[in-house]
Amino acid sequence: MQQTDNNIEHTIFNIEHLNKKIIGMSGYKREDFSVCLGCKICASVCTVNDLSIDANPQELLSSLFLGRTVEKNHPLVLFCTNCYRCTHNCPWGIRIPEIIRAFRETLGIESQFEKAFKGAVKIWGRVYEPYVFLKSATYMLKEGYIRYVPKWFEYISFHLPYKIKGR
Amino acid sequence: MEYGYYPGCSLIGSAHRLNSTTKKIFKRFGHDLKEIPDWHCCGAFEYGNKNELTDFSKSNLKKAHGFCNDIVAPCPACYKNLKEANQDDGGSFSILHPLDVFEYFDIVESIDIKHDLEGRLFTPYYGCVLLRPKETAIKNKDIMENFITRFGGDVDGEKVKDRCCGGNQFFINRWATEKLSRLIIDNTHGDLVVFCPLCHMALKTFSENRKVIYFNDLLLYVMGETDKL
Ligand code: SF4
Ligand code: SF4
Repeated sequence: MQQTDNNIEHTIFNIEHLNKKIIGMSGYKREDFSVCLGCKICASVCTVNDLSIDANPQELLSSLFLGRTVEKNHPLVLFCTNCYRCTHNCPWGIRIPEIIRAFRETLGIESQFEKAFKGAVKIWGRVYEPYVFLKSATYMLKEGYIRYVPKWFEYISFHLPYKIKGR
Repeated sequence: MEYGYYPGCSLIGSAHRLNSTTKKIFKRFGHDLKEIPDWHCCGAFEYGNKNELTDFSKSNLKKAHGFCNDIVAPCPACYKNLKEANQDDGGSFSILHPLDVFEYFDIVESIDIKHDLEGRLFTPYYGCVLLRPKETAIKNKDIMENFITRFGGDVDGEKVKDRCCGGNQFFINRWATEKLSRLIIDNTHGDLVVFCPLCHMALKTFSENRKVIYFNDLLLYVMGETDKL
């Protein structure tokens, strides 16, 4: 019993710690969310609904506020498009997509593409697209992106990577 | 006039067309775009750490000090990130999107029409970050419509012009992008007119026969810089 209590305490501590980290990363403080009115305007305009998936950004915010767990496969964590419709319509302009981004990064659930993007920035200070495509090649082949290549000819251009000076 | 210029990573690569046409239009109006030396990637929407993201753009502003006062950034993501960093830094620069500058040039009134758009239908599509959030949105949210109708074209798509094409999910959950882009494509008619490279790619990929064009190309066509649209 004692053991279980300890485990629960440990888990709660971890979740609270994690939530705090996510909130901080996104440039907020926990108290900032106390202004949320629960009006769910964000939910009514969220793009993820257009995917026939119920999405409620307010519920994600209150989970973070109350120190509850947010699952890795929460629909917003998976599908938020960074459209800022929620922020734009929220009476407080809460930047929910930025909180979701912090969540994804903290849990390390970024896609191969996102990792390659950051990899390029680390090397050159800029995104070198051929590198990103090469790094995501296995994923893109597996997922059948190849069929779109004929549509992309106009995007092709040749330039060598350039490493910037100074940051 | 001389403007500082922040092309960003996609404009020196896949969105090279947006790069060359922006330069061409500014030149036609007698303005120079001077590229900020050694600019760093703006980070787009890929970073979860807000400070890290803002610092990228702040470093670009540092590089622009003494180099220019106004910075033009055509890619909506770069424009938003740069504008936010500037606001955070006390706002010593003017961060401008070409659409706002075109408004300032008063292109609608000042262009000498070489080709009109009579009998043609267009769907101007702004996507997300040009219009949201409020702090960084462009000024005239109907500028593309104003332009098209002024030159005799018809417009469609009022209901979807600010919906999301899902471009951000393109290399993560492609089906989501396809579904969102199709909502825009299937509920509108005529050529799709965009400014964002990501919207261009998403709509182009999932549109069967619909044309997807940059607003700049429309402008250059009316101005007579090109004969085909
Ligand atoms: S930014 Fe994300 S959470 Fe907000 S409305 Fe868009 S998809 Fe929904
Ligand atoms: S719109 Fe803003 S205030 Fe209303 S529920 Fe959503 S986050 Fe809270």
